Amino acid sequence: MDYLVTILVLLVFLQTRIMDLRRAVYCLSAQSAIIALSCIAIGLGTGNIEHGLIPAVLTILVKVIFIPGAVLKIIGELKNEREVVSDINTNSSTVAAALFLVLGYAIVGRVMPDAGAKDVISASILMIMTGLSLMVLRKRAVMQIVGLITLENGIYLLGLLLTRGLPLVVELGVFLDVLIAVVVLVILTGRMRLSFMTTDTSIMKKLKG
Amino acid sequence: MENVVAMDYFTVAIVLYLIGATTLAWPKATELAAHYAGTFCAAVASGLVAYSALAYMTCPACDAGTIVNVKWGAYSLLTDYWSAAFLLLTGTAGMIVSIYAVDYAKGYLGNRLRALTGLWNIFILSMVIVLVAGDAFTFIVAWEVMALASFLLVNHESSKKETVAAAYQYMIMTHIGTAAIMIAFYLIGSHADSMSFSDMMHNTLDDNMRSIAFLCAFAGFALKSGIMPMHIWLPNAHPAAPSHVSALMSGVMLKVAIYGLGRVVFNLLGIDFMWQGILVMVAGLISAFLGVLYASMENDMKRSLAYSSVENMGIIFAAFGCGMVLYSNGNGILSTIGFAAALMHCFAHSFMKCLLFMSAGSVMHATGSKNMELMGGLIRKMPYTAAFTLVGAMSLCALPFTSGLISEWMVLQGYITLAQYAGTPEMRLLVIFAFIMLGLTGATALGCFVRMYSVVFLGRARNEIAEKAHEQHFFMLLGMGMDAVLILLIGIMPDMLVNTVQEVFGGAMMMPMALPLGLLWSGSGDYSLYCPLILLAIFAIIVIFTGLLCYKNFEVKDVTWNCGTYPTARQQYSATGISKPLRRAFDYILQPVKETVKIHKKRAYHGQRFNVRLSIPDLFHEKIYQPLQDLIVTTSIKFRAIQDGSVRLYIGYTMTAMIIVLIWGVLLS
Repeated sequence: MDYLVTILVLLVFLQTRIMDLRRAVYCLSAQSAIIALSCIAIGLGTGNIEHGLIPAVLTILVKVIFIPGAVLKIIGELKNEREVVSDINTNSSTVAAALFLVLGYAIVGRVMPDAGAKDVISASILMIMTGLSLMVLRKRAVMQIVGLITLENGIYLLGLLLTRGLPLVVELGVFLDVLIAVVVLVILTGRMRLSFMTTDTSIMKKLKG
Repeated sequence: MENVVAMDYFTVAIVLYLIGATTLAWPKATELAAHYAGTFCAAVASGLVAYSALAYMTCPACDAGTIVNVKWGAYSLLTDYWSAAFLLLTGTAGMIVSIYAVDYAKGYLGNRLRALTGLWNIFILSMVIVLVAGDAFTFIVAWEVMALASFLLVNHESSKKETVAAAYQYMIMTHIGTAAIMIAFYLIGSHADSMSFSDMMHNTLDDNMRSIAFLCAFAGFALKSGIMPMHIWLPNAHPAAPSHVSALMSGVMLKVAIYGLGRVVFNLLGIDFMWQGILVMVAGLISAFLGVLYASMENDMKRSLAYSSVENMGIIFAAFGCGMVLYSNGNGILSTIGFAAALMHCFAHSFMKCLLFMSAGSVMHATGSKNMELMGGLIRKMPYTAAFTLVGAMSLCALPFTSGLISEWMVLQGYITLAQYAGTPEMRLLVIFAFIMLGLTGATALGCFVRMYSVVFLGRARNEIAEKAHEQHFFMLLGMGMDAVLILLIGIMPDMLVNTVQEVFGGAMMMPMALPLGLLWSGSGDYSLYCPLILLAIFAIIVIFTGLLCYKNFEVKDVTWNCGTYPTARQQYSATGISKPLRRAFDYILQPVKETVKIHKKRAYHGQRFNVRLSIPDLFHEKIYQPLQDLIVTTSIKFRAIQDGSVRLYIGYTMTAMIIVLIWGVLLS
């Protein structure tokens, strides 16, 4: 579990440095795979393998294969799309991620000093906050989808850890929720590309009445 | 046996309304058929509702819930005498106006007529459901459906800009009212076992919260009935709607608000404090007088009628408040006079306002305009409409042999009782003030309707549109005629309805009740203070004798003497002209705005032409709503600064909030 968390934190930091859309999606896919592995790990830890296995399979299907696949497909239709002119460069988002990691540890230390898996909780807080900051700092729609999934993964990890396996209905609901959100986002991105010839979300300012 | 019949009829009525509502989805080719079917359903169903309510009220052995008693989870439908009285009112008005709509609404053929008919059914159905709701949820849901259906009906002629503006204004105002009612229900319901009215009756609210709940309920229901500071939607929404819709809105929907107020006051809160009654009374008196004052200034027929609705709702509130004051004084039995007067005026106003809105619709149908200044002499073109309108106008002026007199007389009687049992000198002063206001209201109402009737129907045509007018179709006349007959019937033989209305407060309501002094009518023995039948007989005899004696002397037919020239239509009194003295007398309230523009200047000294525009802005709109609107707009513009339009900025706000919460959590622990 500790290795998994370390790799996860590394991947999240890597995510803050990637500017190329395609690589960002690969990184996201890897991140989701780690989440799936940790599902199994937690399931093994609690001795209830079914509760680990089903979410793991679902995670792999939805977040490792389907969503990245859909996003990659839309990237394939885009040309010359790259997170080029960011208001804030990658260094600041990495520094922000580092701050979030510190914040996560601070929270865990203060709020639940006797929790078992401190690293995992702070890693999930890191993912949540980094996901949000990715959505704020990046302009491309695809990068914002990546941020959303990162955020979602963080929430999922936190929920998994705190409840030792959610009821299956809740998990299915969560997956369906993400799936539909991403489908809508992909469609919207496609429409944006058709209407504005770009997926730069700052162009949406024009819609303000 | 009787019970079963009433219940069955009611169920059939609900089903018929629902069938009528399906006309919304009929194919376009069957538009006219849909209209006939839908209006037929509405008319028959409303008749059944009225009949079942009447059967219930006149059947002494029936207990609560005889008309309908259904429970489905937290939702329930239940009736008592108070709701039955309003069901009778809704059913009668709904049936008559639906009959009128058969021909009137045909004018909307090709203009979303199916929607009009379907929504019409939904509108009446929702009002019926409000009246039989047995718990707060059902009440609020039906209340909202009623608000939405009436909004859509007001907005029917949505191609006109002012219609849309009026409809949205109505929407906003009615939602503020609903919010207030919901607060009241929530406050009461949170201190009771459940949200059903029978449980909310036994609430354990303390006095302060009880007062707040009362204020909220009062504000909500007063808004819906158009009591003065909250009335601004009414004179805009009523003229904008198709005439049969305005008839039903004014004739029934405003009364449904009275029903709600009565439900809260009688069943849920009780009347604990005298100030509550005084508040209702004073609000009613002020809107009665100001309403009729504005009504007599308007040149638009339907606007004038709408302001007259404000006036009459004011009278109803005044009577209701009088009953509340009497009750909180400890005169429980006598308070019945006030409440019965309020209910009676609900009936009377429902009949006469439906009738007048229908005749305004007929006039609009015949001439294409609702501006009184363009009419004149319509009595020769449309004699039946003119006769029916005369009955309605007489009733609104509270002249003898009409239902208007009966109810307003009962209101005055309530105030006489109040004066007798007032207790404190302050209260007596208030009663004197009430008499002054009611007297002023009555006199001004007389002026207002004399003006409206004479300008529209008498004299000569002022414009060619009035010359081209024609009599209306059969069903329109039938609807108006039924209302006119009802008004005369109740005016001449009031004891039927008055006794039934008194029964309301003797039955399932919380008042212990006996027939109070002076409320006995003809046929019941001891105290017949006003018996219209005898009066009518004497009146008829006098008229016939004078007629026979002086018949010859009246027979002079010639042109009015006009200093040697023939009189022209322009020399008649105009609508603006008639109301001029009143405008001058009350100009500190009305504050008329007169703009004079010189439009013709060929010669220096004569032949000059002016364009004079006189407008009377609504006092409350100018002094309360306009500043409030400006304030909201200016503050909103300040808030615009944080609305950049950028998606990332909005996510950033969320993120900032989250970080702050997290840090706060860390610091606190």
